[in-house]
Amino acid sequence: MIFWEIAKRNIRLHLLRSTLAMLGIVIGVVAIASMGILGNSMVLAVSDSLRTVGDSVIVTPHVGGGSARGFGGGMGGGPSALTITEQNFQQIQRASVPNVAIPILQTSDRMTLGVGKDDIVATIYGMNPDDVPDLLKLREGGYSRANSGCLVGSKFADDNNIKVGSRITIGAEGDKGTLRVTGIIEERGMAFDVSTDSAVVATRDWFDNAYNRDDYDKVVVKVKNLDDLASVKTAIENQMNKRDKIVDVLDTRKTMETIFAAFGQITTFVSAIGGISMIVAGVSILNIMMMSVTERIKEIGIMRSIGAQRKEVMSMFLYEAVILGVVGSLIGGALSLLGGYAISSMMLQTTKYLFVPSSLVNIVYGVSFGIVVCLICGIYPAWRAANLSPIDALRHE
Amino acid sequence: MDDQPVMMFRDVVKVYPLPAGDVTALDRVSFQVERGEFISVMGPSGSGKSTLLNLMGCLDTPTSGDIYISGTRTGDMSDSELTNLRRDRIGFIFQYFNLFPLLNTLENVIFPMMLKSQRAVDPAKGRAVLRSVQLDDELFTHTPMELSGGQQQRVAIARALINDPDILLCDEPTGNLDSKTGAGIMELMTELNRNGTTIIMVTHDPNNARYSQRIIKIADGRIVT
Ligand SMILES: Nc1ncnc2c1ncn2[C@@H]1O[C@H](COP(=O)(O)OP(=O)(O)OP(=O)(O)O)[C@@H](O)[C@H]1O
Ligand SMILES: [Mg+2]
Repeated sequence: MIFWEIAKRNIRLHLLRSTLAMLGIVIGVVAIASMGILGNSMVLAVSDSLRTVGDSVIVTPHVGGGSARGFGGGMGGGPSALTITEQNFQQIQRASVPNVAIPILQTSDRMTLGVGKDDIVATIYGMNPDDVPDLLKLREGGYSRANSGCLVGSKFADDNNIKVGSRITIGAEGDKGTLRVTGIIEERGMAFDVSTDSAVVATRDWFDNAYNRDDYDKVVVKVKNLDDLASVKTAIENQMNKRDKIVDVLDTRKTMETIFAAFGQITTFVSAIGGISMIVAGVSILNIMMMSVTERIKEIGIMRSIGAQRKEVMSMFLYEAVILGVVGSLIGGALSLLGGYAISSMMLQTTKYLFVPSSLVNIVYGVSFGIVVCLICGIYPAWRAANLSPIDALRHE
Repeated sequence: MDDQPVMMFRDVVKVYPLPAGDVTALDRVSFQVERGEFISVMGPSGSGKSTLLNLMGCLDTPTSGDIYISGTRTGDMSDSELTNLRRDRIGFIFQYFNLFPLLNTLENVIFPMMLKSQRAVDPAKGRAVLRSVQLDDELFTHTPMELSGGQQQRVAIARALINDPDILLCDEPTGNLDSKTGAGIMELMTELNRNGTTIIMVTHDPNNARYSQRIIKIADGRIVT
């Protein structure tokens, strides 16, 4: 249609200022889209390393004195003076029925991985052999029921060149005995229950003997029906913390939801900053559209006098805004891909979270937002143009 | 409808409200124009000629009184209906040509055709009309800036004629042209009138008025003949 053609030619006639206004839109789109991509990539990166499925309740001894132990405790730091007694464990198990409660022992110790090799320090977990398959999947080898056997994490195995059948001597002087590796655990990432990637998992009996223990560091309750997570948590809390707060109870799904909600808020906030730059860009579009209308009042008057309808005059200016919006936004979309690539490889050292739908959709958001902003900012000038009185416009010099 | 006057004014008043006081540009003007007439509107500067022409062209509305075009009262028509009336039945020729700078000669001429058909149009008619106003083919793709005043006015006339209007309204059509070019334009208008177009032309120039059949003289917003 001729109005489309006129809109195009007017942009070409004022190429410099059109380009500058478009540049604003480009920047706005890049800001929104690359912030969105960054936020989403961060969420993906974290959820990749926090690979725990939100299906368990973690019980840890309560740290008194008001200093909450919270997340750090769940991530399994060093051994704590506070433990869960066998009696406490029985209560937790009763409160968790019909779900299984898995008691876990944890410490860290020196160990030797072969003759002539340097000692290293690593986390050691103690678990009932019956419970292990419920919690840990193996990459190779098999589970061990014997007290002389152990499992190792995948990173531990890879870093130290450990194979199924390798031997590990535990203790500063090797005084805790030697364990034979029967299996290597699949990579699990950081988890709320046990973080085994760089750890050794031995049997509970061996652990009790070696470290002279009759209590536990942590209890993991695997909840079969996810809808029961909250009620299991409540049941344990009611049972254990009747008089004094003895344990901290953490519902992993809830905790993950909280973490992701926080990331979502950060992403929204950062994208909102991008949104502000888009609003600034919108103002510049509004500005050049107003200029375009003011310069062409006489032309509008001629059009109206020879029979152009209001809506046709309006469409001519809207086309102009749309062209600026679409071209600017598409360029911005293309640049966001580059920008996202640059930011991802700089801040996350990987671009694998860029080419996934949940990241790329941010480009679609940015581009659509850019087009919509231009359209909205074009509406008022176009409306002004359409509603000029034909005779006043015609008389305008 | 054919027996109705093409244009009829009944006690038309046009007042421009200004801060310094109202200006009465037209004061109870009544007249009518029959189909096929060629009328000159004459009078001193500021007497209300342009105001009269703008009202005839439905570009402006009277403060009071009624204007009928082929028997229809323009005050009863919506903005959109008036716009379509201008597009389909009225051709405007202005003193300052008023071509669209972004469109070339041919595009300027077929613009009203496109408004009417709402889609791409066959430019053949545009070329034919341009030739009928004696514009050289090589100028068809030029922009208005690249044309002389006389050429621009002929393009403007071609644009006014493209939708076969039955009323042609001209405000000083030769005001910016030398007398020889102006005479050529006047010949063209006479030819159009002979073919049935009603022409109402505002002019200062008695030489132009000679081409018309009737002269409406106006002074201080009143018709004096
Ligand atoms: N838009 C306007 N606002 C206020 N007053 C106006 C306007 N247009 C015209 N007038 C006044 O109305 C009167 C008639 O003006 P008009 O333009 O019709 O005169 P004209 O006969 O065409 O004059 P000219 O021969 O100089 O073109 C003048 O006094 C003028 O000052
Ligand atoms: Mg005048």
